[in-house]
Amino acid sequence: MAFTLRSVKVPPNSASLEEARHRVFDFFRAACRSIPTVMDIYNLDDVVTKSHLRSAISAEIRKNLHVTNPKVIDMLLFKGMEELNNIREHAKQRHHIIGQYVVGNHGLVQDLGAKEKDMSDFLKSFYKSNYF
Amino acid sequence: MAMRAAILRHIRLPARAQTLAAAAAAAPRSWDRSPLGGSRAMSSHGDDHLAKEEVAERVLSVVKSFPKVDPATVTPDVHFQNDLGLDSLDNVEIVMALEEEFKLEIPDLEADKIDSCHLAIEYIYNHPMAG
Repeated sequence: MAFTLRSVKVPPNSASLEEARHRVFDFFRAACRSIPTVMDIYNLDDVVTKSHLRSAISAEIRKNLHVTNPKVIDMLLFKGMEELNNIREHAKQRHHIIGQYVVGNHGLVQDLGAKEKDMSDFLKSFYKSNYF
Repeated sequence: MAMRAAILRHIRLPARAQTLAAAAAAAPRSWDRSPLGGSRAMSSHGDDHLAKEEVAERVLSVVKSFPKVDPATVTPDVHFQNDLGLDSLDNVEIVMALEEEFKLEIPDLEADKIDSCHLAIEYIYNHPMAG
């Protein structure tokens, strides 16, 4: 498939942590700028706002806040870029996007309240999410 | 050919009247009375420049609606990282939100320098494409 080949170009490693940091910001900007296209092709206008998606992207980046090795950051950036390319090429379906980035880690059932007490741990994590 | 020449000789467009009407309809600025006349109808920018108060108000509302920011602490001179307790990624996120609000694309080098409400307002106010 054409788009997988196109995303396999690997840029040279970041020479320093500072350069890797800048690449993270560049990636974040590229992802933010493709939000309107993504919302358009997956019909997301009625389920999510642009600012929510922006926060979802930054939350994904923030998961790897502790990484200080530039090579590891480059690898994570590569995976992020791959994911972004896949999303932009419409290689995913609408429910993938909604499950991973709209509903996110809050899970499908959000107002459990009293019912939650007599629920097994398995069932709780089952309701929570596939993605972690 | 003869037909075409005859028609062209007799047709008269009221060009003068049109430019005068357009100039009167548009805001009375100096370039409206230039020989070219008109209000640059096909121009995509420049004619409706934003007022500074409006820019400031919209920038502040974008910053206030940012999830991690307490709206009460936002003032026009607030610094994103020093005063609001945000980090560099939040800073980029706010600049992206501003890009969306004002329909701009801020180049990376300039976006890196925008780190306070004051700078954001100045930059967007001086940007010709802000809308």
